[in-house]
Amino acid sequence: MFNYVMRRLLFGALTVVGVSIVVFVLMRILPGDPLVAIFGPEGFTKLTDQERAHYMAELGLSHPLWYQYLSWLDDIAHGNLGRSFFRSESVAEMILRRGPLTAQIAFLSVVLSWLVGIPIAILSALRPNTLADHLARLMSILFLAVPGFWLGMLIVLTLLFTFGYRAPLTGASIFTDPWTTLQMVIGPAIVLGLGQAAYIARMARSSLLEVVREDYVRTARAKGLNNRLVIAFHALPNALLPVITLSGVLLGFVLAGSIPVERAFGTPGLGYAMFTAVSERDVFVMQNLVFLYAVVFVLLNILVDIIIAWLDPRIRLR
Amino acid sequence: MTITTPDVGLTPSPPRLGPIAPPPSAWRRGAHAVSSFARRSPMSVVWGLIALAMVSMAIAAPVLAPYDPLKSNFRAMTKPPSAAHAFGTDQIGRDTLSRVIWGSRTSLTVAFFAVLLGTTVGALWGLACGFFGGRFDIASQRAIEFMQSFPDLVLAMAIAMALGAGTGTVIVAIAITRIPFGGRVIRSVALSLKELPFVEAARGLGASNLRLMFRHILPQCVAPFLILATTHLGVAIIIEASLGFLGVGIPPPTPTWGNMLSDALNSGLVPPWWLVLFPGLAITITVLAFNLLGDGIRDLLDPRLRGAV
Repeated sequence: MFNYVMRRLLFGALTVVGVSIVVFVLMRILPGDPLVAIFGPEGFTKLTDQERAHYMAELGLSHPLWYQYLSWLDDIAHGNLGRSFFRSESVAEMILRRGPLTAQIAFLSVVLSWLVGIPIAILSALRPNTLADHLARLMSILFLAVPGFWLGMLIVLTLLFTFGYRAPLTGASIFTDPWTTLQMVIGPAIVLGLGQAAYIARMARSSLLEVVREDYVRTARAKGLNNRLVIAFHALPNALLPVITLSGVLLGFVLAGSIPVERAFGTPGLGYAMFTAVSERDVFVMQNLVFLYAVVFVLLNILVDIIIAWLDPRIRLR
Repeated sequence: MTITTPDVGLTPSPPRLGPIAPPPSAWRRGAHAVSSFARRSPMSVVWGLIALAMVSMAIAAPVLAPYDPLKSNFRAMTKPPSAAHAFGTDQIGRDTLSRVIWGSRTSLTVAFFAVLLGTTVGALWGLACGFFGGRFDIASQRAIEFMQSFPDLVLAMAIAMALGAGTGTVIVAIAITRIPFGGRVIRSVALSLKELPFVEAARGLGASNLRLMFRHILPQCVAPFLILATTHLGVAIIIEASLGFLGVGIPPPTPTWGNMLSDALNSGLVPPWWLVLFPGLAITITVLAFNLLGDGIRDLLDPRLRGAV
């Protein structure tokens, strides 16, 4: 197990280095001067050559690319992620302030997706080709097609017009004011959770259908065990392994999906910060946020692999 | 003595002797395939027709749209749906119905070319990986892993932002996120095919690597390619809409479903419901149609791939 974990972590570190190069290259081939983004096209033309050189040097953009890349890595290692062009808050502060909200949304959405997806899957796997099965499948197909941010906009509008209710847009942390936080988080979590539930239900259904045909399940039934007990305690735990893997992958996609969804709800999380950065073409914020998303994505995949290896000896002993 | 290179099927086979039934024409065969498809899964025909309707709407946008999608009418600003404007008008008096119709043109064009480009590049890459193996394959798998270390939308956002706004850049951005999928699937197909006797036979007859790849293995990849492409159309449409919604897609005033939703939200705190409902409905119906059509095509071409792609 230890060997397995170390190997996964090593590969993960390698991937993170590769990812940092991809992000750096992407953010440096931006056409157009970052100074134009800061000062606007008009302000930019008013700057003298000397001032331009001065600002470029101040932003650290006058060094050769390899130097810029290494100093960026150095900054990350020291937790210094630079500043936005437009706001006084540093990127690290922004991540610490906004990150928890997005993390809560992601966590809650995973919980919701299991609460919705697994019962649907059990229902449709135990009674294939009945009305319940067809309804469950229709639902999972529908959730795949509805864009989350649109659903979010519809929810906001409906609540507003029927109940005159709008979720609070600013709030304290979950520790000081959990009720406000929950109201801010629940909308995006429901939207993102339903989207994942569709995948979870599909995967759990086919996995359960496979496991139910295995010999040990038949043996359990032959012993005279109640069918419900067989499903709940014999079949389900094994059927859930691929679902856990999928859920981890989906969690990464939820972090990305929460960018437009947070915009739709106006939730001031990390996704909203990403939207602001991309629309203001705030290169440094974007560079660090994209890197952060990728690192979290890689870590989640490693974590899922480790959990699966812990649950399934066949994998860790390979 | 001269060594003649063996002929591996370049020249047409000699005419057969005796009367035989003429092979059915391409039309016949096509019609037969469609009718058997229809019998086996009637629902996917319905969804196929809806998808076809969406595509025709995109092609015939100039004829179908009742108004100019870019022209504002200051006498009818932010008006709810009425007889004159079936889907209402936006903040500067542009007809929403016309914009939704023209939006289908942009959204479908982007999705179609992005998927075609991304899946083709991925497929050729995967073909080479599976065929050659070795170091090239290992390096390629690492590169694909780096690409898959980003969630689709984040990668597409970063690329679209890096390349600047425009139709071409959005197509490239979405296409790049599709490459790993084509790469993986076609690689595994090529890996299993290259060991088969017919490839060995062709190699024994002296066929070059290129000929083996393109003449013998590539044709077997067509079915998985088609399945991949249709199943990814829906995803591509959603990514395009999300990019538009986040302001890194095709810039206004060109109408796309995504930037229409974004405009609705930019107008003020409470967007009028008709500006939200109709573009989103268009996305949902189109994606639903392409997804279910893709499922049908997958079941028709290769039932073994059910759930794999």
